[in-house]
Amino acid sequence: MTSTRLVHDVGVRAIEWLHAHREGFRLEPDADPETGFLQRFKPVGELALICAVLFREGVAGSRQAALARQLLDHAWRNTLDGGRMLVRGQRVEPISPVPFEVYLPFRELGYRQPEMEAAARLNHALRSTEAFAMTPTRRLGLSAFQRRFGLPARPPEAELVDRTWLGRTPEPWTVEGHIAYDVTHTVFHLTDWGERPEGLPPRLAGYLATWLPAWIDDWLDLRRWDLLGELLVVDACLPHPTLDTRAWEGFAAAQQPDGAMPAVRTMPEGEPEDVFDIVYHPTLVAAFASVLATSRALSRLTGDAAREQEPA
Amino acid sequence: MEESATSTPLQGAVRDLTTAVVSALRSGDPARPYLRTGQGEAALAAVRVLGADALLPSVLLGTPPAPEDLVTYREALKAYPPPPGAAPASVWSHRAMARTLHRFDPGPPQLPEPAPEPGTEDLRAAPWQTLTHRLAVLAPLAVPGADCPVTRVARDRPVDVARGFVRAVRRRDWPQAAGAGRWLTLLDGVPDTLGLEAGLRFVHQMADGEPRVTLHLEAARLLRTGTTA
Repeated sequence: MTSTRLVHDVGVRAIEWLHAHREGFRLEPDADPETGFLQRFKPVGELALICAVLFREGVAGSRQAALARQLLDHAWRNTLDGGRMLVRGQRVEPISPVPFEVYLPFRELGYRQPEMEAAARLNHALRSTEAFAMTPTRRLGLSAFQRRFGLPARPPEAELVDRTWLGRTPEPWTVEGHIAYDVTHTVFHLTDWGERPEGLPPRLAGYLATWLPAWIDDWLDLRRWDLLGELLVVDACLPHPTLDTRAWEGFAAAQQPDGAMPAVRTMPEGEPEDVFDIVYHPTLVAAFASVLATSRALSRLTGDAAREQEPA
Repeated sequence: MEESATSTPLQGAVRDLTTAVVSALRSGDPARPYLRTGQGEAALAAVRVLGADALLPSVLLGTPPAPEDLVTYREALKAYPPPPGAAPASVWSHRAMARTLHRFDPGPPQLPEPAPEPGTEDLRAAPWQTLTHRLAVLAPLAVPGADCPVTRVARDRPVDVARGFVRAVRRRDWPQAAGAGRWLTLLDGVPDTLGLEAGLRFVHQMADGEPRVTLHLEAARLLRTGTTA
């Protein structure tokens, strides 16, 4: 069985690196408003989502939790200027779901911006929001976020599952990188980013339990760490995670001493900002996978201990 | 068929023989001799490399082999016994050849005692990746009604072989995919979501007529459609 310490340490190092490189989470206020401004919001939203997972699972040490809190504060106060940048993004592209998607995880962590609240409600009421073309998986994520905001999901998530690639349980040997990312995100949305593993319908959990080992094996050998990390998250969302030893050892070995996780094979070279843009995501994913897998490994241990204490 | 260190003439002979076996399978007339593809030693060694698959047309179509093919087959079986300390795959392949010969030539074998049956503990404990690789090498053992230790291991691990098929397709390892797919057509408990039939068509499409792949796919087709003896 995989060492829980090894799994846990991947996340500790990842948060150290993200904290040390927090200036990399930056917007481009001067970008051409027609094309670029919202492009750089995604990393900030992902940061908030994953820090939320870290607080929720309660397996972080005090230093790791403090660093994560500082990261969030930095992102909210500095990068998003207390939420004002979200408002600005919303005004540049009123119908775009991106500012709302970035806002929601911050809101759940206690950060508020009144104009974003109003914009979320207004957009939710528009027929245009539902008509906006999106992949089924992205749509599933938006519906989940509407529910988490306290609004009725439009359309309801149950209607969307069967439209996703995963929901149709297709031939597992056809999976390529972009399909695999689609699968991981379907699982993230259905489980509220690992919070509710029971949100994954048993039919899909069974499909993943059968085929995920083959995909993990493959992307481990291809040294595609970003995707492997997401697949390890999916594993941790299953009723019986494998916490595959070979995969976790390979993943941990790919991580740099300072905590950065390369996206593919080895670390890229170049200007610090460019390097950040390539490796921030796999490093966030490493923190995400580590926290969830550590949490599952610990519940397994406590579950085993509880069973041992039960009278025979 | 068995992997072995091959020289170029042997590789050529194996290729010729494999193509001949595929033709016999497709013609539906294995009674016409096809095993002697050349005069040299390589032609005989090729029969040993194909193993029991050399007589696959007769096994699957239920027509006895031509007498001269039986002679060639027996000669190859005698000439290339597994050396002392041979890998289990070599012993299993040789034993499968002997079983197949006995099926069409039940008289006294006039052959040396077969090497003792290797244990399957390693195969049973192998990770699914290794299991699939080894089974693909032993694909000639995947025939209807075979009840050997290797088959029993495969029957107990259909999901693992199915994962190995996915892995082989993803890696574009068509011979392994075809060998694993041939086993899967024989096994119960293969997950429906694998889409085996489409998978075999995909392998056929992608493998560009590689004879070894075609042989396993033809075998799988005959196993699947049930038009076997």
